Amino acid sequence: MSSLKLTLKVWRQPSRDEAGQFHTYHLEDVSTEMSFLEMLDVLNENLIAQDEEPVAFDHDCREGICGMCSLMINGQAHGPDNETTTCQLHMRHFRDGDTIVIEPWRAKAFPVIRDLVVDRSALDRVIAAGGYVSVNCGSAPDANAVLVPKTDADKAMDAAACIGCGACVAACKNASAMLFVGAKVSQMALLPQGKPERASRVLNMVARMDEEGFGNCTNTAECEAACPAGISLSNIARLNREYLKAALTAAN
Amino acid sequence: MTSLIRALSSSIGKKLLMSVTGLALCGFLVVHLSGNLLLYVGAAEYDAYAHALHAQKILLPIAETGLFLLFILHIALGLITAGENRAAREVKYDTQRSKVIDPSSKGAPNLASKLMVPTGLIVLMFLLIHLGHFKLGIISPGDDASEAAKAGRILSEGFTQVVYLIGTLVLGIHLFHGFQSAFQTMGLNHPKYTPLIKTFGFIFAVCIGLGFASFPAMGYLGRFKETETQTTENRAETPTSITQRK
Ligand code: HEM
Ligand code: FES
Repeated sequence: MSSLKLTLKVWRQPSRDEAGQFHTYHLEDVSTEMSFLEMLDVLNENLIAQDEEPVAFDHDCREGICGMCSLMINGQAHGPDNETTTCQLHMRHFRDGDTIVIEPWRAKAFPVIRDLVVDRSALDRVIAAGGYVSVNCGSAPDANAVLVPKTDADKAMDAAACIGCGACVAACKNASAMLFVGAKVSQMALLPQGKPERASRVLNMVARMDEEGFGNCTNTAECEAACPAGISLSNIARLNREYLKAALTAAN
Repeated sequence: MTSLIRALSSSIGKKLLMSVTGLALCGFLVVHLSGNLLLYVGAAEYDAYAHALHAQKILLPIAETGLFLLFILHIALGLITAGENRAAREVKYDTQRSKVIDPSSKGAPNLASKLMVPTGLIVLMFLLIHLGHFKLGIISPGDDASEAAKAGRILSEGFTQVVYLIGTLVLGIHLFHGFQSAFQTMGLNHPKYTPLIKTFGFIFAVCIGLGFASFPAMGYLGRFKETETQTTENRAETPTSITQRK
């Protein structure tokens, strides 16, 4: 185990409506076995000891499944590692003497609440617009009553791996949410349970996505590269297909 | 109908229209390049093609109007979406670094995809100058004996060579991302066909870029000085056709 001496350039912003700016902090004896968030915990302990406001950042599970943690680390969503959330990023990816720039997700649809914490409820509102299936919850159906081909189940499962962290939006030069919406539309369009509401779902979710002020998709694939859950660009193509089909066949 | 219009003005709808118009413009580029390449076959052949084209008193105006509309739609939507994309991130990042590990294997030609607006704008500038030369005749007008002579004269000018070389090569960069991107936008993403489309798109962009760039390059090398004299010779040989034309 070795330890690092780091310079942190952290975005500080007291509230949504106040202006923010970068503050520089120096941190010594950072263990390479710490996670990135543990490193920030150490920073905050130091700040509290010095009677300063600790840095606000989002986190919950700290095991890469809840999608709460969200940091732009040296210009990369969730830092330099692939298919990794910030909470699962470890300090061994950094070198002694490094300067690390830490910023919140930047998008008009994700306003900063405080320091590094942003409001991602725009994604929840997209889900509320149609990212569900309406079913009567009676007793559990018989096994194999609804047959699903294995290949479809696999694709739906891959799409359902999305943890809604917003890294796709953060990494996109247009702050587009197409990968998120693509995954959420795909996971249901692929399964029999999702078929009845297939058309209205995609139309409503895309309409909501546009209302929230996300950008358009240029197909640069930065979202796919930044995604901690490995959601593939093919989900955006499926979203485009689903949308076109629904728009062409809509009755009104 | 209203739902269709609403759908086409959504983010996905706008991109869909851009992909369709973009690919249609790619089709135009193939036809246009093929016609222009006749300059290398010979001045007479090029002239014959130009005359046959201009003799189409009904079809040509229809085709030109269609082409004009394609351009207008593509450019207008390009500018509108670019504006929306800028607005979608009010506060810029201090630092931003690509996470696409290997640009050649993953997310397609990555750099070109981030330059679609600048490359599009440069192509637009080139386009306006090009139309000023050949369509409107307001930039370096001249009294040329033939279409080939006109092309040869304009392509022999230093200004043209610089503008056309930049314009055509930048168009190649635009297509480098644009061609394959259009298929993804139209919903075509397939483990078998997407790599094929990307490879074809790359070859297509290189052929279009270098094909069109060859004209200012050849102009610089003095290739079309001959064309001018060649046509003068042709004129001496076939005086009747010239009088007809005048
Ligand atoms: C012969 C000329 C042109 C051709 C063949 C062409 C072709 C294309 C194609 C195939 C695309 C991809 C569409 C998609 O991803 O869905 C595209 C995108 C684009 N084009 Fe063009 N284009 C041309 C001229 C222009 C011009 C003059 C502009 C001027 C502003 C322009 C601006 C754009 C922009 C901004 C995009 C990217 C939009 C985005 O993905 O965010 N293009 N073009
Ligand atoms: S804190 Fe839950 S994914 Fe990082």
